[in-house]
Amino acid sequence: MQTVNLTQMDKEGIAEKVIAMGGEGLLNCVQCGACASVCPVARAGFSLYCKNLIKKLQSGYMEEILEDSSTWACQACNRCTEICPRDVKPSEVVFAFRRIQAEELAISTSAFTPLMSLYETGHAVYNKRSKELRKKVGLPETPPTSIGDPKAVAELQKILDDSPMAELGIFLNLMSRKQEK
Amino acid sequence: MSKIGVYVCHCGENIAGVVDVEDVRQYAEQLDGVTVTRRNLFMCSDPGQEMIRQDIASGLVDRVVVAACTPRTHEPIFRTTLEKAGLNKYLFEMANIRDQGSWVHAHDKYGATAKAKRIVASAVGKAANLHPLEDKFVDVTPAALVIGGGVAGIFSALELAKMGHKVYLVEKQPSIGGAMAMLDKTFPTNDCSACILTPVMVEAANHPNIELLTCSEVADVNGYIGNFNVRIRKNQTYVDWNKCTGCGACAEACPVRTANEFNGGMDHRGAAYIHFPQAVPKKAVVDMSVCINCAGRKLGTEPRISKKTGQPVLAACEKACPSGAIDRSHHLPAEGTLRDIEVGVIIVATGYQVMEKENFPEYAPDSPNVITALQMERLISATGPTGGKLLRPSDHRKPRTISFVSCVGSRDVRHHTYCSRVCCMYMIKQARLIKEKYPDIRIFMHVIDVRAPGKDFDEYYTRARDMGITFVKGKVGGMEILPADQVRVLGYDVDLGSNIEVDADMVVLASAMEQPPTAKLLARKIGLSFDGAGFFKELHPKLKPVETAVEGVFLAGCCQGPKDIPDTVSQAKGAAAAAAIPLCQGKVRIDPTISEVDTEKCSGCGICTPLCPYNAIVLKTYSGRPRAMIDITQCKGCGVCTAACPSAAILLHGYTDVQILSQIAALTRAA
Ligand SMILES: Cc1cc2nc3c(=O)[nH]c(=O)nc-3n(C[C@H](O)[C@H](O)[C@H](O)COP(=O)(O)OP(=O)(O)OC[C@H]3O[C@@H](n4cnc5c(N)ncnc54)[C@H](O)[C@@H]3O)c2cc1C
Ligand code: SF4
Ligand code: SF4
Repeated sequence: MQTVNLTQMDKEGIAEKVIAMGGEGLLNCVQCGACASVCPVARAGFSLYCKNLIKKLQSGYMEEILEDSSTWACQACNRCTEICPRDVKPSEVVFAFRRIQAEELAISTSAFTPLMSLYETGHAVYNKRSKELRKKVGLPETPPTSIGDPKAVAELQKILDDSPMAELGIFLNLMSRKQEK
Repeated sequence: MSKIGVYVCHCGENIAGVVDVEDVRQYAEQLDGVTVTRRNLFMCSDPGQEMIRQDIASGLVDRVVVAACTPRTHEPIFRTTLEKAGLNKYLFEMANIRDQGSWVHAHDKYGATAKAKRIVASAVGKAANLHPLEDKFVDVTPAALVIGGGVAGIFSALELAKMGHKVYLVEKQPSIGGAMAMLDKTFPTNDCSACILTPVMVEAANHPNIELLTCSEVADVNGYIGNFNVRIRKNQTYVDWNKCTGCGACAEACPVRTANEFNGGMDHRGAAYIHFPQAVPKKAVVDMSVCINCAGRKLGTEPRISKKTGQPVLAACEKACPSGAIDRSHHLPAEGTLRDIEVGVIIVATGYQVMEKENFPEYAPDSPNVITALQMERLISATGPTGGKLLRPSDHRKPRTISFVSCVGSRDVRHHTYCSRVCCMYMIKQARLIKEKYPDIRIFMHVIDVRAPGKDFDEYYTRARDMGITFVKGKVGGMEILPADQVRVLGYDVDLGSNIEVDADMVVLASAMEQPPTAKLLARKIGLSFDGAGFFKELHPKLKPVETAVEGVFLAGCCQGPKDIPDTVSQAKGAAAAAAIPLCQGKVRIDPTISEVDTEKCSGCGICTPLCPYNAIVLKTYSGRPRAMIDITQCKGCGVCTAACPSAAILLHGYTDVQILSQIAALTRAA
């Protein structure tokens, strides 16, 4: 890595922005590494994960890491938040950063499918084949969630349409696809 | 015939794991004069001691040999056992079969057992020839000397004074207070240093039991615990302190401008000056090394009479002083005045110095904007050179970026291997104080790691992060001077895994605390020794942390090792408590195992007098003839004189010829 001049980095406002976007514990991190030790993103070898993302944000990085799609590999397993001795809530920092990435349309294509699924079913991840499985073990085919409840899905879509997510244009696509059908 | 009891200790597995203790016991049984032999897992335990007590009480033994560990730690215990059972405590001998047996011959069980037998035989041989001895006592001079008037010395003095003991508090500077008087605020509570220190300084000065001797140093120390004769040199101040009111008129009038040490050389003072605004005592001094003898007023000369006014022409300071405390007509001796005092105990509290930046060529010492942390304390202090405004030295402008560099001279084999213990915390303190006052200043802390182990310390550090102070893990390796008086700090960020640079307007070096070189002189006068790091050595790092190898001399504060104010004050109070023991007892015990001259045999040849390393022997006239006399308070029982005396007139109690020869006989005879 090249030498980084910390004074010349445009640090102004970066920590504040991350904190405003939900990464409230950003400054508390002491870089102990506990979060990374259990983080599936880190363990799978992605370049940006809780600990080093936090360090970079603390040091004033933004432009340099905005396009890094590793953050979208976060499974929201929350193991980092459970283990962090400083109550940083690292997963919240990851999500805050993803919100900033999304604002800049620096969104990974891998995130599209779950978002579309969320809009369509109310679940980011929904396995259609689960119907058979549920039947087999004697459960109703659909769980008592938005799945079997078109009214609930409609309400959810309204919320999403009014949220900053609508600006990503993904849902618009879905609407037109539906209309085409 | 003596009745000797031999008690063999297992010392858990320490001895018994190697030495066949039962074999040793059986061997002892058949030695001359031995009436009882026993073993125990721990002879020093209550049941072990009880065994000895009962054997003495029932008349079975009148001499005791314990074959166990070292007499250094355990002889006092067993002597007390004898005393409690009503036997003279010097009828005891210890056979060290652990340190000199099992420990050194762990690989050779047979050999270790054979050696243990010899050691026991030798002790039994000596025990048969032991005589009862009596402790001697001398009176203690009811006064204490505290050397160094920093926060450690002040608290030690106050504690002793409050217990009712007379204390001489000697400080080489014009005022007491030490380094703490230079600090702005103090971690971990951020209370103002002067606000908490000044009242204590005043209390010490006003206490009826404390005699404050500032501008003074210890010139010479003689004597021993209970009776030290100390020569104090009061350095020349050139101001009559009986008259000086501390108004400061002389300091203002003095035309000389020289670097002001109290403010880290960042402003100036006159040749006539007052140490600092809250000085105690608040008295002026004239620094003759920079005085220019204005108006031609050389010291010890009568003033010239002005032709115009007919009045004497005086120096600026003389003229300014409203109370006539400065009179240059007197010939005042440059070496000051000497005074002898007598004290029973001494507490050494001479503190530390910080390393100056010139020691670190890699950290751009030529830049005026690179300063030590102690200078930073003065720069943010309301009584400092800028009245508390943070202005960088080169151009008196407010800095926008500051880098703090840790472990400068500490944890570095090229300088000091130890951690100075307070730097992490005072760096965080300074950064926090600056950030609180000027939130727009960017602060970088370059650390190997942060050491914040005290009460409330880690919380204090966490708060610094919350305030937006940036911590960079990695030691700074170099600096470059940039245009516009900036300094480029070259570092490494371990967490980023990358080299980093900071273009700083100011750099603060957390330079190591170290023993000042003057400590060597004092150590020589008192007989103190040093530890590996160069600080004064305590007698035992855990159990005797304020005592020294010189009985009656105690340590307090940073002269014993770097520490913060809470630890310094705790140690100062501990040293006072330890020093109070002989003062309260009123007498000190003199070990009777020392030398004595038989005046009938002594020929007065005087061979012994120059040989004694403790100057304990003088020739005195006895029935009209010169005779050697040993001062019992000075003799340490080394035996040099005993061996040298051509008339065999000197007896070393506890090590008589008969006793030593019987040991040799036993050692050479034993199987
Ligand atoms: C930059 C800096 C900031 C610090 N900030 C804090 C803080 O915020 N909180 C905290 O708890 N600690 C702080 N410390 C530590 C603190 O300064 C020490 O713990 C404390 O001053 C030690 O007191 P002392 O009496 O042992 O030594 P000193 O203060 O050094 O006093 C020793 C005194 O002995 C005198 N003396 C020396 N030799 C002789 C002699 N031969 N004869 C007569 N007198 C002699 C000296 O003139 C001096 O007055 C800081 C230290 C530094 C360097
Ligand atoms: S566990 Fe918490 S403190 Fe440790 S590196 Fe991760 S976020 Fe930072
Ligand atoms: S025994 Fe040692 S200290 Fe005592 S008088 Fe002899 S030489 Fe001096």
